[in-house]
Amino acid sequence: MVAGAATRPHYGGTLRVEMREAFETPEAMSPPAGFVLAAWEAGKRAVYTADENAAGGRPYLDSIEIQMGRPLSDQSTDLELGKADVVELGPNELRRQIAARKVWSSSPVRLMVLVFGPRVEDARVREALALAVDRGAIHSVLLQRQGEISGALLPQWLSGDAFLFTPAFDGARARSLVAALAAPARTISLAVSDASLRPIADRIALNARDAGLVVPVTAQRGTADVRLVEVRTASSDPAGALAETAAELGLAEPARADTPEALYNAERALLDGFRVIPLFHLPLVFGAGPRVRGGPGITRLGEWHFENLWVEGRP
Amino acid sequence: MIAAVKGWPAVLAALLFILPRYARSADDPAGAARELARRTAAFAGRGAPVAVAWRNAASLDSTAAGQARAAFETALEEAGVRVSGIAPAVEVEITLSENQSQYLMVEESRKGEERQVWIASWKRGAPPAAPAEGVALEKKLVWEQDEAILDVASSEAGLLVLSPARVALYTQVNGKWEASKSIALTPAKTVPRDPRGRLRINGKSFQAFLPGVACSGSTEPALEMECRAADEPWVLESGSRAMLLGNFAAARNYFDGRVTTQSGVRKTVPPFFSAASVEDQGRTWWVLAQVDGRSQIFDAAWQPAGLAAQWGSDIAGMDARCGGGQVLATRPADGGEPDALQAFAVSNQVATATTGAVDFPGPVTALWPSGGTSVLAVARDLRTGRYAAYLVTVVCGR
Repeated sequence: MVAGAATRPHYGGTLRVEMREAFETPEAMSPPAGFVLAAWEAGKRAVYTADENAAGGRPYLDSIEIQMGRPLSDQSTDLELGKADVVELGPNELRRQIAARKVWSSSPVRLMVLVFGPRVEDARVREALALAVDRGAIHSVLLQRQGEISGALLPQWLSGDAFLFTPAFDGARARSLVAALAAPARTISLAVSDASLRPIADRIALNARDAGLVVPVTAQRGTADVRLVEVRTASSDPAGALAETAAELGLAEPARADTPEALYNAERALLDGFRVIPLFHLPLVFGAGPRVRGGPGITRLGEWHFENLWVEGRP
Repeated sequence: MIAAVKGWPAVLAALLFILPRYARSADDPAGAARELARRTAAFAGRGAPVAVAWRNAASLDSTAAGQARAAFETALEEAGVRVSGIAPAVEVEITLSENQSQYLMVEESRKGEERQVWIASWKRGAPPAAPAEGVALEKKLVWEQDEAILDVASSEAGLLVLSPARVALYTQVNGKWEASKSIALTPAKTVPRDPRGRLRINGKSFQAFLPGVACSGSTEPALEMECRAADEPWVLESGSRAMLLGNFAAARNYFDGRVTTQSGVRKTVPPFFSAASVEDQGRTWWVLAQVDGRSQIFDAAWQPAGLAAQWGSDIAGMDARCGGGQVLATRPADGGEPDALQAFAVSNQVATATTGAVDFPGPVTALWPSGGTSVLAVARDLRTGRYAAYLVTVVCGR
């Protein structure tokens, strides 16, 4: 007879979590609801313990131990070896088949987007790059079909109208726009500070070259003409999410939107002129080990929701 | 009459000019369809042929989508616009979409080079509840609500429902249950995350047990109740004859293992979530669904006598006309999955299934004996998030 068949939550135990980001101060990291900070090693490790007076009752877990700054591949290995309970998964890690691994996926809450700096004044350059990017190939190969191809700032599940911003891949039109440019205007530098996005930036540069643009990829954000960045949606209110996204991307504050149609018009206005080029809406994906119960441990927005988790047995 | 009909499009056209710039939410799909039809009519002009293509990208069923389409086309025709795919002056593509709170009817209209996008919306309702089904065990819906249900008991005055925050009495008026009175609970400590509670009815009086709290009250002449912080043992019944007192661990979701038998003997057993007794060969046995995940059988002296089948955390004992005492057990699944109940008989310390499983639309969050020959099971519907209490009985002869 095998023990561990109880379906009611167990109290006790430590949840071992790993993450790629490394925060220097506790304030920079959203604490898991229901837990209080007990130990902090800047950029390395954080320990949270259960709050006896947490709203909704004391969490089942005694504590959460978070290892920061762990590369995705190492996280996946630790999950496989039973050294971690919850890890982040990228497209490459998702490809690996790991027995008894549970996968928690949020709604698409990460917007991958190209953002032009003020130096690129000619809208034809911006439009040419928008038309040159082969999102389909990047989505299939580099992103392993995670998330959605999009030309919208807000994901479909949040606004309901993202399909109206279907992005165009039109190499001929892009070449025609570039052909009309003066030679110096055909070179634009692309910055990507997140190393995990580098393969996508390289692919965009290749697409741009096909259209006649010269796009050197750099890690130096300050001097670049255009940046490849990720912006996370943190609000489940469409109008609020649009305002937050616009602020993060340095766009003008969108017009007030009380109705879906007003929201559509506000989003359309932000995208006019190709100052930003939305590429993909991606989910946050986590892997959980076999001893983790009570999941999923994330909300639809990808926020940690560990207060209802419990662990079976010992690590 | 004819003049009135001819005049209607003119009135409609006039109304279009005084519509607000952005459409407000409609009440239903038909309202949204009419709203878009009005704007389409103004865009196309009277008598103009309009080609309409539809796409359902929402979770709406074909009936609702069909109703929206019919309402749109009727409203267009009433506005003097012809729906026709032959040489259309305006091409319309309507997409039924959705976000978290609303359904959207998105119209993209093209007249030559001119393109318009209009969006009408209506609120989403709650998804339909899952249909109930049963095979050998029979379940009957007793009560349903948004708030968690810890226990439900039937009294002479009506239905008593115990929730983490209150006890409520419902009485039947003209065949419908109506709230009679509700009394808030004042627990001594924070309610546990997996709250549990138990009601015991005795005529007009009742007791309510919650972690760290004991309440007593009456249902007549009106609902009254007093609660106090207490570490009193809960009364655990099984079927119509067996009884056990168990100490509940305050601020937790299990019994701490201190039990008192019907004969007054005190014992300490491993912590457990639930208990059920069975009669076998004239002897009483207890089965405990322990916190460690095992279902342990104990003899009359409370010595371990074997392990029952692999069950979930909740078990309850009941009498059945066929096969004697039965243990109803949840299944050993993750607490976030649909659950099921199955009846077992225990003979020679071996549990054997006596019925098929009866399914629930989510985890069983409470399971208590109810009147000796049935059990009360509460399940949380994973789709709606609502809690439903069912009376489950063993039906013989099927």
